[in-house]
Amino acid sequence: MAPTPILDERLTIQKHRKFLQRHLAILPSKHQEHEANKLAIVTYALIGLSCIGDPISEEYAASKKWLRRHYRVIGQGDSSIAGFFPSLYMDLDNALTISLTSTLFGLISLLCLKDHKFFNSDVDREGICRFVSKCHKPEAGGFSASLDIIAEDGFQPSKTDPDDLRHTYVAIAILYLMGCRKSSHFSQYVCLESLSSHVKEKACISGGFGQYGEPHAGYTSCALSILELISDRWDIFPDSFYDRTIEWLLQRQVSDKCPEMSGHEHFDPEDDGGFQGRENKFADSCYGFWCVNSLNILKTSQKVGNEYQNGLSEYLINKTQNSLLGGFSKNDNEDPDLYHTCLTLAALSLMSGEFDGSLFLPRKVADTAKSQLIAP
Amino acid sequence: MSDDPEFQYDDVEPLPISSDQEGELCQIMYDEEYRTVMGIARALLQRLEFSERALYATSQAIELVPAFYTMWNYRFQIVRTLYGADGVKLNCELDWLDEFTLNNPKNYQIWSYRQALLQLHPSPEFQRELPILQSMIDEDTKNYHVWSYRRWCVLFFREFSNELQFASSLIARDVYNNSAWCHRMFVLKNQVREGPPSEVLTGELHYTKKQIEIAPQNISSWNYLRGLYDEFLDGEADPAIIEFALSFAPGIFAVDISDFSSQIQSSYALEFLAHAYAKNKDTFAQARKAYQALSDHYDPIRKNFWAYKIRSLTT
Repeated sequence: MAPTPILDERLTIQKHRKFLQRHLAILPSKHQEHEANKLAIVTYALIGLSCIGDPISEEYAASKKWLRRHYRVIGQGDSSIAGFFPSLYMDLDNALTISLTSTLFGLISLLCLKDHKFFNSDVDREGICRFVSKCHKPEAGGFSASLDIIAEDGFQPSKTDPDDLRHTYVAIAILYLMGCRKSSHFSQYVCLESLSSHVKEKACISGGFGQYGEPHAGYTSCALSILELISDRWDIFPDSFYDRTIEWLLQRQVSDKCPEMSGHEHFDPEDDGGFQGRENKFADSCYGFWCVNSLNILKTSQKVGNEYQNGLSEYLINKTQNSLLGGFSKNDNEDPDLYHTCLTLAALSLMSGEFDGSLFLPRKVADTAKSQLIAP
Repeated sequence: MSDDPEFQYDDVEPLPISSDQEGELCQIMYDEEYRTVMGIARALLQRLEFSERALYATSQAIELVPAFYTMWNYRFQIVRTLYGADGVKLNCELDWLDEFTLNNPKNYQIWSYRQALLQLHPSPEFQRELPILQSMIDEDTKNYHVWSYRRWCVLFFREFSNELQFASSLIARDVYNNSAWCHRMFVLKNQVREGPPSEVLTGELHYTKKQIEIAPQNISSWNYLRGLYDEFLDGEADPAIIEFALSFAPGIFAVDISDFSSQIQSSYALEFLAHAYAKNKDTFAQARKAYQALSDHYDPIRKNFWAYKIRSLTT
């Protein structure tokens, strides 16, 4: 069964298909700087193709085996850890190179390609969960994305990785895909008390989440997705904070119908309808996804309906779509790129109810993962 | 790499990068330099060599793939093994990192690597961090990672004394810089445990009002103003601040809303007023009027949200 496509006649689907397929084919050497994010490239292209309805599990069936080669189990039995490394040439015997981000992207890609056997019988589920656990920093509450390359005193979270909400989200999403559904499951692998304080620390007084009090739509989506996936810990904030966050998120929609902002260099009336990631910044197509995902999680439509999405769709299709080259760009005057193409298609798909934002999976793939694979 | 006279890698067999595998996606056409640099860096990592030449090899690899967390971690392990807690040597590493940072401003591994170095350093100094922070902010005054790193430093060194002034200098350059406004609030909330003393608060209120007068339609300064009241003044707007906000939306509560069409200077002033009026039943009528004006005239894109706010007034 092919994924459900977004239906909008203004989309130049053929061009987008070509644009996305190009990223899965042979890439010129300028892409070598993205080596550490290779599985992200694969995921963004596959998700983008899913959103336009391509039967990728058939078209790219031959790549399942190649993807699986990025998966490694380290150690044995009850102390094994398992995960994905980003690039086949980083498979080194003496250094720990698997990472949480590559693991999530690897799992997402295999789910998109319907490698159900991997999930049902081949994966070392406990090993992956233990890897997440080893990346956890219980004193700070967050996660490093990888481990120190040498396990001197056992596996240690990398001392050189950032440990912000992105990685916390990635860790929680992996545990979810490995079968965790509520706090009693997650707490087998991570300290939920310290994780809760870490998430609370990132809550901002104006609503939203961010580092050191500066709210950011990307981090906000991470934090709310974490709560959505853990499912039974919404009580760490009062309702008033969620209301405030809805307000903060809706305020990120840029409007050309407001009093004049003299001397404002980061305002463009062409941004009308698009979402910005922070106050007083230009709109950017990817924040359409992060904001709509956040607003969906907070069930905003029950309070204010979905009309705000019309303006966003208009903005994404009329301003950021490149109907000549295919793909979408961050705004109305940059070149299209893979990340913004994936996020824009995902946003359009999300608004038509065909995407699961907190798992970052097409709805049908997410439903299969939730019900058939690795049920709790 | 072999062109650096200082280091010899003749005894190192570069690990090959094989490509053209079955089912391969994103097959990158690596160039020769890339194959050599990565071949040697990986070979050294594979044999766990911690040496000056390995350190150099990681810098070459990181130049080519700045997001390679494994190479950053390898580099850190080399630094730790070779230099331990030798402050002079660690400063050299920070010098290298400064240079790399200037050439790779969007990379975010640089900041967490920096934090790891400072935590290893026997006598880290806030002063040492200021020039790189300054040049990075000069290059992009809203760079989220740079602001985050600055705040991490401020907390790490417990050094707040220059921060309000620093934020002011950025706000003077661009009054719409939300990061700078958030930095102000970060200082107020973290410098003194029991909250800022009243003379500081008075100063902040005065400062904020002045900035609002310069640019009335600025969400950052109005958010900050509301933050001052919510965080430190029990959320109670006093008559003076109501009067101040009213001056940017003159006459709005005096006329019949249905034929209201005059221009106001700030929709955020109106929101501020609506928020204050919505706290008290006696002023619900004004709150409703403010929300209605936002919905009809000054912020129609959010009209359903303002309608929701009006509905919430009855509860």
